[in-house]
Amino acid sequence: MNRNYIFLTILMLFLAVGTIFLNKTEKLKQIEPDKLLWEIIQPTRYVSTDQVAKMIIQQDPSLEIIDVRNEKEFNNFSLPKAINIPVDSLLSETSLENFGIPGTKVVFISNDDIKADQAWIIAKRLGFDGMYVMRGGLNCWMRTIIQPVEPPEYAPLTEFATYEFRKGAKLYFTGAKPENTETKKVKVIVKRRKKTKAASGGC
Amino acid sequence: MNKQISSNQERYLNPYLGGVLLGLLVILTVYITGRGLGASGAIKSAVVTTSNIIAPYETQQNGYMGRFVSDDHSPMYNWLVFESLGVLLGGLLSGLLFGRVKKFRIDKGPKITNKKRLIFAVIGGILFGFGSQFGRGCTSGAALSGSATFALGGVIAMFAIFGSGYLFAYFFRKLWI
Amino acid sequence: MGPLIPNGIIPAGWDFVIAILLGIVFGFLLEASGFSSSRNLAGVFYGYNFVVLRVFFTAVIVAMTGLLYFDYLGWIDLSKIFILPTFLGPMIFGGIIMGIGFVMGGFCPGTSFTAIAIGKLDGLFFTIGLFIGIYIFSLAFPLFEKFYTSGNLGNVTLTDVTGIPASWFAAAFTVIALAAFWGTMFIEKKVRKNIKEYKF
Repeated sequence: MNRNYIFLTILMLFLAVGTIFLNKTEKLKQIEPDKLLWEIIQPTRYVSTDQVAKMIIQQDPSLEIIDVRNEKEFNNFSLPKAINIPVDSLLSETSLENFGIPGTKVVFISNDDIKADQAWIIAKRLGFDGMYVMRGGLNCWMRTIIQPVEPPEYAPLTEFATYEFRKGAKLYFTGAKPENTETKKVKVIVKRRKKTKAASGGC
Repeated sequence: MNKQISSNQERYLNPYLGGVLLGLLVILTVYITGRGLGASGAIKSAVVTTSNIIAPYETQQNGYMGRFVSDDHSPMYNWLVFESLGVLLGGLLSGLLFGRVKKFRIDKGPKITNKKRLIFAVIGGILFGFGSQFGRGCTSGAALSGSATFALGGVIAMFAIFGSGYLFAYFFRKLWI
Repeated sequence: MGPLIPNGIIPAGWDFVIAILLGIVFGFLLEASGFSSSRNLAGVFYGYNFVVLRVFFTAVIVAMTGLLYFDYLGWIDLSKIFILPTFLGPMIFGGIIMGIGFVMGGFCPGTSFTAIAIGKLDGLFFTIGLFIGIYIFSLAFPLFEKFYTSGNLGNVTLTDVTGIPASWFAAAFTVIALAAFWGTMFIEKKVRKNIKEYKF
């Protein structure tokens, strides 16, 4: 009887003292894969360039644009009030502070939407809400906002409405805002596209 | 080691085994529900319910009980109440298993009468019930579950209860030995 | 990842079913360890039966250690569990009153339930006393409402207050508990020399 107790005492001591040596790496909490998958397939996670333009023009305070390209590209041109977080420093503590703030809409942008999408998935995996990707990225921004294409005559009326909006937006972004034109040279990437795809909302 | 157990001695689990199992139960409870066990809370629910039946207006006006009265459901519709029902059942099960469910009886020290024991039981209960509200729990809820989850309050309650018991034990020794 | 119900892994509708089941195990263990007998319970204060110390303390150190391992293995999210709030003054006061009640009545609420289950009248009377005590508290509440809510330090853990990691507390408690177990074995032997019956 006593021998068993001695064994148990040592075992318990070992287990309890052992807890001191358990090294827990501060793992960032992650959401379950199936939840992530469900979030990925939601089409609502994409916002169009028109929507982003609208929010900027209306000075929507909940909008937070995160440019995930590298610093050089960011300094060359980006959207107004965008924050530059290159993809490789997405998980640093200072970067993470930008996510998960209740009520904000974080929109990732990059040249196409590939890098932005990647950043979205990484950030989404950590369980933050309110994360979006601007569909088509800055290239699409150019084609729709900066250089909107007039819809063909047979296009539905809504496309013309969009086009009118985009003309106004173009003025707003390339004409009237002084803070943007300071040091940045607007590099216009002009890409001729087929008219059938013009103005209807995407690239 | 002398294993002679007189026929009067009851059969009980080895206390360390019981403790380990109880500790595992606490872990399981926290793992499933995110809270610990408890007991005094069920009596509180019973008090509120009874009081609400007898004097609903005063109960709802009462600064302490008013909070627990809701229109949707009885105060007895509460996790601790169901858990305590389980405790009753579990105790019964164990009693049946070990042959301890017998006619009504009273445990007491050899030097006092049954009547005295019952009187002290009630007074002890009154004090304990009264104190448990200040302590936000009893030995199961505050001391055991609280300490197990490293809550400061749990440890304080545990030391206060057992410390006080030791301090005052001398004055009630006639009840037990 | 635990805790299961707060994380939605088990639907909340099962809450009460689980409550009863856990309660049954709890009651069973209490009764099976001898807690349904007030003389066993009081024994810890007089040195003739340390079952309370053994069961209780073992449970605390097992639970502490176990929760830490669960946390390390990622099985439970310790930030999501309920931490008993600390009300410094009231808790100390309440604890003292409860201690007196314990040694007078020979029970605590959970054990009194198991006592009732096996027919102990003193358990029943204790529970009636609990009822009355809580009722008195409620009626007299306005008198000490201020005191009741004083000393609120919030839902703090030992680590929050001292900065010492929880594992150190688990280890410290374990060391003290184990020492107490061995120590009380000797005390019991000595005290039991004078009395014949010590297991009730």
